[in-house]
Amino acid sequence: MTAPYETPAHATLAAEVARVVESVSGVAFLRPGLTDRLRSVVSRPGVAPAGVRMTRPDGDGPWQVEIHVVVLRRARTVDVARGVRDTVERHLDTLAPARSAPQVTVKVTGLV
Amino acid sequence: MTDRTDPPNTPSAQGDDELLPCGRLLSRTWDDWEQQTDDPHLRSCPHCRQAVHGLDDLESVVRGLQQETDTTAAAYDTEPLTRRIMDVVRLELRPGRPLPLGEPAEDLWIMEAVAARALRAAAETVPGVRAGSCRLLDGGGDGGDDGTVEVRLDIHAPADAPLPELAARVREQVWEAADRELGMVIAAVDIRVTDLVPTSMADDQEGGSA
Repeated sequence: MTAPYETPAHATLAAEVARVVESVSGVAFLRPGLTDRLRSVVSRPGVAPAGVRMTRPDGDGPWQVEIHVVVLRRARTVDVARGVRDTVERHLDTLAPARSAPQVTVKVTGLV
Repeated sequence: MTDRTDPPNTPSAQGDDELLPCGRLLSRTWDDWEQQTDDPHLRSCPHCRQAVHGLDDLESVVRGLQQETDTTAAAYDTEPLTRRIMDVVRLELRPGRPLPLGEPAEDLWIMEAVAARALRAAAETVPGVRAGSCRLLDGGGDGGDDGTVEVRLDIHAPADAPLPELAARVREQVWEAADRELGMVIAAVDIRVTDLVPTSMADDQEGGSA
């Protein structure tokens, strides 16, 4: 799940979201996008990290964020997913408090 | 199972190597990073740093799995580690459909193949049981979708086991894994015994989750 972004700022924001997601307890890593990793996507500008998709369908409206993560088996999966959602919501709220709350979807794509 | 895949990847068609926007070849950047070359460009260039970040992530994951797998044993067997990494790759290619985690309105999901694997593993904690097909259907009755899931699990059972008790134990393990390990709301667990295995063979069987 790699997503092209309209502006470098959006891609940077997605990368920042990816960073905070990876810091959540129980997250092993973002969906690795191994195919992309083996044939690097880095030369394509505006491509987000695998595992994060951010769109804003209404232009200036709330972000719709989709996160794909691989979770550690020793943690309860739903608790980790909730932690990811809450962390992303808090982070985006910190960056832009006046905006409408983002809609965050979390999908667990693997357990390790 | 619904075939639900991500959009196809579209790697750039530049052969096996790639030219980064800074003018360096990706292969050289990775090589310099692995050799720990003292190169100011590598530290300051955002393109090179991004290029090594992905490789660094993958290496961190593998290192973490190695630590969990106890690679210090003299006769270290790489097979379990390889299997776990390939599990991640396989699940990425064939994830199935998303199933609800937690409460229905939470917008949290787990991919079908991931949940099925965890539930099959739970079933196989009952001695002698080998799990087969594990289908996860929408719960809530006819056409209903209340955020619950019905589990339909096929098992091979030891020939000398009392089947009602065995099925009850398997069901209990599956319920418990769904609730305590995953956090899925399960409406029902249907167990179907599809084969009876001689006890000696059942003892020898390893986990059958594939």
